[in-house]
Amino acid sequence: MKISTTLAFVIVAAGFFVYQYRQAPIYAASSGSSGAKQAEQASSAKPQAHTSTPSEVGVTVFQENCSFCHGREAEGGETGPDLTRSKLVLSDSGGNKISVIVRNGTPDARMPRFEFSAQEMDGLVAFIHAQAAKAAAQVGGRRGVDVDDLQTGNAEAGKQYFNSNCASCHSPTGDLAGIASRYKGLDLEKQMLYPENVRSKVTVTLPSGQKVAGTLAYLDEFTVALQDASGTYRSWKISNVKYSVDSPVNGHVDLFSKYTDADIHNLMAYLQTLK
Amino acid sequence: MKVLKNTFLLAISVLALNFVPADSVRAQQLDTAGLTHPSKDSWPSYHGDYSGRRHSSLTQITTQNVGNLGLAWVFQTGQNATIKSSPLLVDGILYFTVPDNVWAIDARSGHQVWHYTYPPNKGLHLGQRGVAVYKDSVYMLAPDAHLVSLNIKDGTVRWNVVVADSSKGYWTTHPPVVVGNHLIVGVGGDMDNLPAFIKAYDPETGAMQWEWDATPPSGTPNATTGGTTWMPGTYDPELNLIYWGTGNPTPVLNGKTRPGDDLYTCSIVALNPDTGKLVWAFQVSPHDTHDWDAVEIPVLVDGTFDGKPRKMLMQASRNGYFFVLDRTNGKNLLTTTFGPVNWTSGVDKEGRPIPNPDKEPAPDGRFIAPDEGGLTNYRSPSFDPKTGLFIVDAHPSYSIYFAKPADGSYGWAGADYGLWGKGVLEAIDYKTGKIRWTHELGPHGSGAGVLTTDSGLTFTGDAHGNVLALDTSDGKTLWHAGSGSPMQSSPITYELDGRQYVIMGSGGVLFAWALPEDSIKGEHHALSTK
Repeated sequence: MKISTTLAFVIVAAGFFVYQYRQAPIYAASSGSSGAKQAEQASSAKPQAHTSTPSEVGVTVFQENCSFCHGREAEGGETGPDLTRSKLVLSDSGGNKISVIVRNGTPDARMPRFEFSAQEMDGLVAFIHAQAAKAAAQVGGRRGVDVDDLQTGNAEAGKQYFNSNCASCHSPTGDLAGIASRYKGLDLEKQMLYPENVRSKVTVTLPSGQKVAGTLAYLDEFTVALQDASGTYRSWKISNVKYSVDSPVNGHVDLFSKYTDADIHNLMAYLQTLK
Repeated sequence: MKVLKNTFLLAISVLALNFVPADSVRAQQLDTAGLTHPSKDSWPSYHGDYSGRRHSSLTQITTQNVGNLGLAWVFQTGQNATIKSSPLLVDGILYFTVPDNVWAIDARSGHQVWHYTYPPNKGLHLGQRGVAVYKDSVYMLAPDAHLVSLNIKDGTVRWNVVVADSSKGYWTTHPPVVVGNHLIVGVGGDMDNLPAFIKAYDPETGAMQWEWDATPPSGTPNATTGGTTWMPGTYDPELNLIYWGTGNPTPVLNGKTRPGDDLYTCSIVALNPDTGKLVWAFQVSPHDTHDWDAVEIPVLVDGTFDGKPRKMLMQASRNGYFFVLDRTNGKNLLTTTFGPVNWTSGVDKEGRPIPNPDKEPAPDGRFIAPDEGGLTNYRSPSFDPKTGLFIVDAHPSYSIYFAKPADGSYGWAGADYGLWGKGVLEAIDYKTGKIRWTHELGPHGSGAGVLTTDSGLTFTGDAHGNVLALDTSDGKTLWHAGSGSPMQSSPITYELDGRQYVIMGSGGVLFAWALPEDSIKGEHHALSTK
């Protein structure tokens, strides 16, 4: 039921977006606070002059704040990903996930945080969903990276590359078993080249000689911090301790200077066989 | 009584200044002399002076005492936007911005003198990199590509003129550059296939004086658009040339509709500031398909190269190459990479990188170093004359670039995804291009600009939000403080009342760092008794 509700909202919002996009911009405040409610009102009633709809508010908010990185149509731009294919957007319901990212930014701070009013946020969410629905409704010739685009490699050559360069850490029957079912297309390729959110291990040796091990929680040139087995955060001044970090993910960085495009396409072809 | 006392002090100081006319003391308006030879109690233009070196002759804060640096004051904008502007200091007042906002604050105390807010507008609110000051006005470029003149005393609007039509997709973010009787401005806008330009305006009236077009009008067959001019250039008063970087061609990732080099995109251009006529151009990225603007600061250095005295221009460019040019004629002296670069098949005889056609964005993706943000971006590098080091916030990085027919030939026209990157401060020896030292700044990259001083200090920030003072000779950390947010601006420094301040913006807060007042008095005393 939740899915169908979301879908209905998306369709309503999309329909209204298409409608309003043909209209001249209207500048006025809206008293409504619920994006879905507004969209419904707007689509069921005849257009009300001097009332901004969520999508209308959303267009403005998006164009002023988001379009540079995510593109005018939310289909990707400078630095920012294609939101119409974003897992987060597609799993969002009425802004429950989008608004969290917008208010907080991404954990790595590559996307900054924004403070919008409830009305602006509703509009933004409506606009993004409308764009996603519009893109998904496009039959053939869709912009952005499709799974079909990433089928140019040779799986056998990819397997050979894997055995020479990846097999010391990874196994097609172990950690990578079924990887092609868990990730597809661009998500799989990005995960293959540099998996995100892989935590490093750290061992800190205190002046007493005691060793504390855990998951690396923070590291700059002055402070090291970990989360120990109990989940407790502990930090030390680097000048007071010794530490060693174990980051297996750096194996991916070591490969960057060696890849050819063919290596990547072949490896991709091979990984897609691991269903 | 206070007024009388101040008047008396003023009179005394006038006497002490060998009878400088009272007018010049009372109305210390910023003029051409002040811009060309900035006094130590000023930072009158974006780079501090016309050279773009972001280097200060101040020496109160040294490698020995920088460990004692502490807060003099902070100023909170109360705004969500990150400070990307480089503040100006003129007559004891700092001027800085975030989009739609200009502040004038007291440089001694950090308290607000005035605050101007630009009316709500539909321009792109990407960032605002600062203002220009000339005589009795402050000049700001707005998100909707308007140029605004404000009264320096209270921030009231004198005039507002349209630089470009924002409804077509133009925006502006940078401070104008004041050269003589010209306010020189550029423009942003590469989400549409639009031509770009540099224009000059009359500082008094806002009347346009000249326009130089980087690219031909939209719709010209087989020609590029783009070449935006979104960072302030530099100026050589002796040669009377301004140096400006131009941005990427459009469509951005699809180069098929714009065959050839796509002049003058991704170029460093030298223009006559009085006429706007092109004197020379050097293209940093011929036929760019990766969004690598060449707008990074064109730094002007006089020194020796291959044993001969040279007037040089240096740029660490977004495309991953470090260039040294002869700025009298644009001839190349050195071209070298300063990090991982994989998109070229070499360097041509003019010193320009040769783009490898196999590395143009493709339907199945091309693995590209650096990423689209580039090996460096708009925050300022610094040139330290004593060591001959060009110090730059570098961003070694890898990415994949896609483009297919469905992406079309308008605007972005493709997709690119960054995979990995980190921040490294690099000290490049300009004579050889060799990297003399590096200082790791953390994952994804820092985004902080760089300031050097004559006392051998380098100020910058890391990816975590630490502000740093390093030893310029070896890159070792001498002082740091957590600022709560990675810096997205470039530091400045000045001296007021005998105290040197270093100003760094981070998040929505401006920080003023200085040595403790009692330690400065002590030093002065020690000096005077020697």
